[in-house]
Amino acid sequence: MYLDYNLLEKCYKCGACYDLCPSCLNLPGYDPRKVIGDILADNYEHWLNSESIWQCLECHHCLEICYQHYGFENAMTALRTLASKRGLTPQQVKRGWDMFVRTGKLGEPQSSARKRLGLPQAAESGKDSFLKLFKIYQDSKGVKT
Amino acid sequence: MKDFAVFWGCTIQARFPFLEVSTRLVFERFGLPYRDIDGFTCCPEKSLVNNIDHGLWELTAARNIAMVEEMGLNLVSPCTGCVSNLATVNKELCHDEAKKGAVNSMLKEVGLEVGGHAALHHLVPFFHDEVGINAVRSRVVIPMKGMRVAIHYGCHMIRPSHSLNNDDPLEPVKFDRLVEALGCESVKHRTKMMCCGQGLDRVDQHENALHMARIKLRELSSLDIDAMVLCCPSCYLQFDNNQFLMEKDGEKFGIPILYFTELLGLAVGYGAEELGLMNHRVGVAPFLEKWERIGGEGSEVGGLESELEDIGVFGL
Ligand code: SF4
Ligand code: SF4
Repeated sequence: MYLDYNLLEKCYKCGACYDLCPSCLNLPGYDPRKVIGDILADNYEHWLNSESIWQCLECHHCLEICYQHYGFENAMTALRTLASKRGLTPQQVKRGWDMFVRTGKLGEPQSSARKRLGLPQAAESGKDSFLKLFKIYQDSKGVKT
Repeated sequence: MKDFAVFWGCTIQARFPFLEVSTRLVFERFGLPYRDIDGFTCCPEKSLVNNIDHGLWELTAARNIAMVEEMGLNLVSPCTGCVSNLATVNKELCHDEAKKGAVNSMLKEVGLEVGGHAALHHLVPFFHDEVGINAVRSRVVIPMKGMRVAIHYGCHMIRPSHSLNNDDPLEPVKFDRLVEALGCESVKHRTKMMCCGQGLDRVDQHENALHMARIKLRELSSLDIDAMVLCCPSCYLQFDNNQFLMEKDGEKFGIPILYFTELLGLAVGYGAEELGLMNHRVGVAPFLEKWERIGGEGSEVGGLESELEDIGVFGL
């Protein structure tokens, strides 16, 4: 993934989507242009530890209304990815990720509840095939397991 | 209609299995060729997996899509997040042959290949486009005339539009039309297109999640609404569960939350119990009581054909 600084530059001067962004409108302190300004000034480190970058809801409103089909969210995603690399993910994201790479799922069907509701047995999960694929993926990236 | 695999997703099956009940029932009632297939994993969830590892996010989604393709099926999901994630990756691969090649070289090791040609539908636009408004209308047993509902689209049913391409991404209409076909009034409201905000609960910001839920629920409380209708387990969690939590702490909203499959199920003649409505945390009794009181009152199921019996030129 890379960030297009040309687009970011334009985005920094624009701000047209503030009126549609649910977080800009409702969460005090959420201000994507400030973040983008800091990225352009190469002074973004302090954002990695902030709540702000996790307040982008990935609702894609900014993307849809944007005249360059760009969207604030690209900058936020980039910072969240960096934050994750440094181990700065929120607890729940970390827990979800751990479960995902262990099982390929974020939760399993509950057979007792299914019985009570008269639902058929749930289809089998693709866990084994997923784990095999995950291993291949890690090898391809040279990750030691 | 081509057979389709149902992609239930993790959340519905792990947390809200009763939503699976109503979905199966409406599929049955409309005689739709649905299938359960073994081998799906998490779609995977974007905010979680994509933020940590974009490549794994793509590869996992590609694997799910490839399974559907291999069986010659299309895909329909009652989960908004699942469809949006799968469609986004599908589009990304279709536009980048090199990337698709890299993904396929790994998928080959588990006996799969992604082409990018399966149709991936969200259940709501699927009912609108593939089943059709007319078919929906003609199956209604007790019209919902007089019922005032607030539709909550949910961001990922329609966005990103370059991947989903199923409605206007900012001023969608299909969900409204379906609900109107059942006889309901879709009440205009200021926060209609606002994101539910449930994502904040997933990043340890519970108070902010409640704050977002409150904004919409407050508006709806002031509007004489009988229910909010949605079709996304994440939005459902936000408005049913979080509304329940706030009510327990003394804030009163009293907005029943209905899944689209439940509203449709009721209209085509299933009972509330059969549909699993008693599993909601915020009670839906006020909706049902009003509907029972006024249901069907002076209302026709409607549609042109209902008045055309016996007058066809061809005797049909
Ligand atoms: S995707 Fe993020 S930045 Fe864009 S409008 Fe939604 S919350 Fe705001
Ligand atoms: S995302 Fe697009 S519309 Fe929003 S401020 Fe940036 S350039 Fe303007």
